[in-house]
Amino acid sequence: MRLFENLNIDFMRKRNFFYLISSVVIILGALSIIFRGLQFGIDFKGGSEIAIEFSNPIEIGQIRTEVENIGLGNVEVKTFGGSTGILLRTELQEIPQSILPKVKSKIETIISNSFPGVEKKIIDSTFNSITYSFANDSISLAVSERLNKAGFQTTELNEEETKNAIVVRLGISDWIKETLTEKFANNPFTVLKEEKVGPKIGQELKRDAVIAVFLSLIVILIYLGFRFKFIFAVGAVAALFHDVLITLGIFSVLYGVIPGFNLEITTSVVAAFLTLVGYSINDTVVVFDRVREYLKIHKTLPLEETMNRAINKTMSRTIITGLTTLLTVIVLMIFGGEVLKGFAFALFIGILTGTYSSIFVASAFVLEVASRTNRKVQF
Amino acid sequence: MKEIRFRLIIIIGALALSLYLLYPTYQDYQNNKEVGLKLESLSDSIKKRNPGISSIELKEIIQNKKDSILASNPDYKSARDKRIKLGLDLQGGMYLVMEVNTAKLLERLAKDPDEQFKQLLSEAEKESRLSEENVVTILARKMQTKGIRMSRYFGSIREDDADIQKRLLEQESDAVTRAIEIISNRVNQYGVSEPSIQKQGSRRIIVELPGISREEEAKRLLQGRALLEFKLLKDPEFAIPIMNRIDEVLAAKDSTSKTTVDTTKQLTEAEFAKQHPFFALARLVDPQGRIADAYVKKSDREVLNNLLSRPEVVKVIPDNVEFIYEAKPEIAEGVEYYRMYMVNKQAELTGGVIVDAQANIDPMTSAPIVTMQMNSEGAREWARITGSNVGKRCAIVMDGQAYSAPTIQNKITGGNSQISGIPNLDEAKLLEIVLKAGALPAPIDIIEERTVGPSLGQDSISQGFNSMWLGYLIVAIFMIVYYKKAGTMADIGVIFTILLILGILAGFQGTLTLPGIAGIVLTMGMAVDANVLIYERIREELATGKTVKAAVESGFKHSMSAIFDSNITTFFTGVILYQFGSGPIQGFALTLMIGIAASLFSALVLVRVMFDFMISKGLKIQVG
Repeated sequence: MRLFENLNIDFMRKRNFFYLISSVVIILGALSIIFRGLQFGIDFKGGSEIAIEFSNPIEIGQIRTEVENIGLGNVEVKTFGGSTGILLRTELQEIPQSILPKVKSKIETIISNSFPGVEKKIIDSTFNSITYSFANDSISLAVSERLNKAGFQTTELNEEETKNAIVVRLGISDWIKETLTEKFANNPFTVLKEEKVGPKIGQELKRDAVIAVFLSLIVILIYLGFRFKFIFAVGAVAALFHDVLITLGIFSVLYGVIPGFNLEITTSVVAAFLTLVGYSINDTVVVFDRVREYLKIHKTLPLEETMNRAINKTMSRTIITGLTTLLTVIVLMIFGGEVLKGFAFALFIGILTGTYSSIFVASAFVLEVASRTNRKVQF
Repeated sequence: MKEIRFRLIIIIGALALSLYLLYPTYQDYQNNKEVGLKLESLSDSIKKRNPGISSIELKEIIQNKKDSILASNPDYKSARDKRIKLGLDLQGGMYLVMEVNTAKLLERLAKDPDEQFKQLLSEAEKESRLSEENVVTILARKMQTKGIRMSRYFGSIREDDADIQKRLLEQESDAVTRAIEIISNRVNQYGVSEPSIQKQGSRRIIVELPGISREEEAKRLLQGRALLEFKLLKDPEFAIPIMNRIDEVLAAKDSTSKTTVDTTKQLTEAEFAKQHPFFALARLVDPQGRIADAYVKKSDREVLNNLLSRPEVVKVIPDNVEFIYEAKPEIAEGVEYYRMYMVNKQAELTGGVIVDAQANIDPMTSAPIVTMQMNSEGAREWARITGSNVGKRCAIVMDGQAYSAPTIQNKITGGNSQISGIPNLDEAKLLEIVLKAGALPAPIDIIEERTVGPSLGQDSISQGFNSMWLGYLIVAIFMIVYYKKAGTMADIGVIFTILLILGILAGFQGTLTLPGIAGIVLTMGMAVDANVLIYERIREELATGKTVKAAVESGFKHSMSAIFDSNITTFFTGVILYQFGSGPIQGFALTLMIGIAASLFSALVLVRVMFDFMISKGLKIQVG
């Protein structure tokens, strides 16, 4: 089968049209980033997140109303996977001071309801834990088990001076679990995953992500600078910038628009950015490689014509490879599960823009610079 | 033909190597199935016998049983060790990043901290949260601008600020080392399979605990202070008769029921095991019985613990003694043995009294020693204890595991003790760390915590593999439709690529994560790129009227530079991603990099050989 045989389109002549398209998309994306912002995942923002799976399908609105009133402020509630999975997230990492007493009294109610008349003593109390001491080992164990069941995390202490004592953790996820266990007693859930990321880690990850993206652009610039004329390397990197910007913009524009797609910037989305940088450069290199070859053969041909020929000749390969990669990415998007959706989506957009930019941006950039400076590009 | 043969050998070699490296993974998969079935029937029978059993207890029993089954058969273990490691996101587990709380440590180290110091410290701590600088450095700077010398709070008056600062940083890194030792001790004790505990930078620890069944408890293990105790060993005259009794009780019981002893051993050993079930597992170090230490094989520990917790055995062990193991195994003939001691349950002294400990080389004998200093209260107690127990042995126990059991030579007054007879300086250093763990608990905060439940992991695995074969199917069909016979060759190349990726992953002990699987799926899409480049070029060359042979020849030759340049840049981004990513993302970078190398090999060597072979046989080649 042949789809693009003897293609002969004057791409370079139409470059102003493509500039327009690219600029419009980038500007729209940038506006959206400025006004709507980018939604960062928990990796970068810090906070607590818990994904649970109920045994029976559950109405997401129901959960939302329940967690609205537990004093954690703004808790995001989303579906996770199918109709039984729920993802809850807050930017908080510790339970706020204002509701600590409520949490504590809840714990004590559970203890006194389940073990009427049991003697307990608070021997230590901090912002994220309370330590109770009991008369003997078996009571402390039983209480610990009961609280565990209610969703709290407990630790039995075995140190000399604090025998028979348990530490009850007062964490965000404990409090959420406790509330939901109580409210949805007839629909028990299991915890799928639990994450807590401190603000410092988030900062570092953000920094690392930015460094990684820029570093890869620089490395590519240097490598291509050696292999091709420097101007080609700049053109290739400009195309990469274009790809990353457009993908970021689309993430911002489409956040919350497509149901079932969680378009947050997470570490795996950043990984997807780097992959698209690597992928998109493939396309560009293939075109440039052909330009290089033709420049050697047809020394007298104007650059514009050479580029057109190179692009037309490699078009078939560019589209076919883009297509096979796109097919696998679509498979990942549909069958890869919740965790990979954002990643696959970033690649999906990236491959589209990458293919586009290697044809229309990278070469056009080189041509533009060459014609402005009136220099003859050669190898 | 000759030039093909050489490449053919390389290809077959690579293929055989991948399959060889992947075999343990397959074996492990089969083993798991087998063990799973066994456990299922066990759990059914327990439920039948004891319908009231709580699910937590049942889980506990099953988990113990699973551990002991997996530990008992060396084949299981070796397959497990060599299989492709699954990341935490696939097998479920806990990932923690812990950081030593330097501010807290400084507060503990400071002598007479006043209000001003506390004020400066809390400012320094706040600042450190937003900057890269260490709390120590910030505090030092703050004190300098206020004109306060550091020696006011730390070290001695003769030292200058730079020295003190350096030493405080050392203390910080010591605290991390200590915390790592404490954590690994507890984790090992707990029997988490394949835990990973790593130091990152100067003040961070990354803990990975795969397998989540006891996750809640595992988290408890990691926090809280280490408990250091000194426990007196029981004399052999006391311990050995008790061991004999345990042995008798077990032998009596075992003669009526099925034994748990390994039946593959020789008959005499089997007989010995039957008659002495206890001593078969816990072999006395000294057969004459002058000391009561016993060696227990690592794989036997679980079995022995189960035996010792039987009610009839518990009855013959006095209430005030217990068995404890050494923390680190001794290795003899490739088998790991743990020394087991019988000690007083009641500790003589706890580690809170230790002020300092130091590993050194004894100048007189040039043997490694550890010195330790106690506070005055501890020193008084220590004098009394050592005084009345000269000639006896005292175990140094951290969190229930012994690190050393030196003999008390004489009464130690004044609180300065010296432990000698340590085989090497590394062990002396370890003992120093352990002794200090009682003295200066390392304040450690959990700053990142990720837990993946086993069901999510299982889902991810099946989703990953579904995407893999579906992705392959779609790409393969597309290639066949578009390039006909040549497409089929590319498809064979992709299978070869995937085998190579997995084989290399297994061989280099790489970890497969969900993004890693995504990387493989993606590689399938991109792997055909090299083929597409070549095929398109061949088509072009054919169109210029070249013969098939010449077209193939120049098709491969002319697409080489493009293939090389584009793949190397992608490889670079993979390297960068590996450097800056964490956990699952590194898994992605890894498969991406291996994938590039493997797909280049398939396209440039394997597919080329297929072409050359067909040309030499005069077969028809269709490039679509």
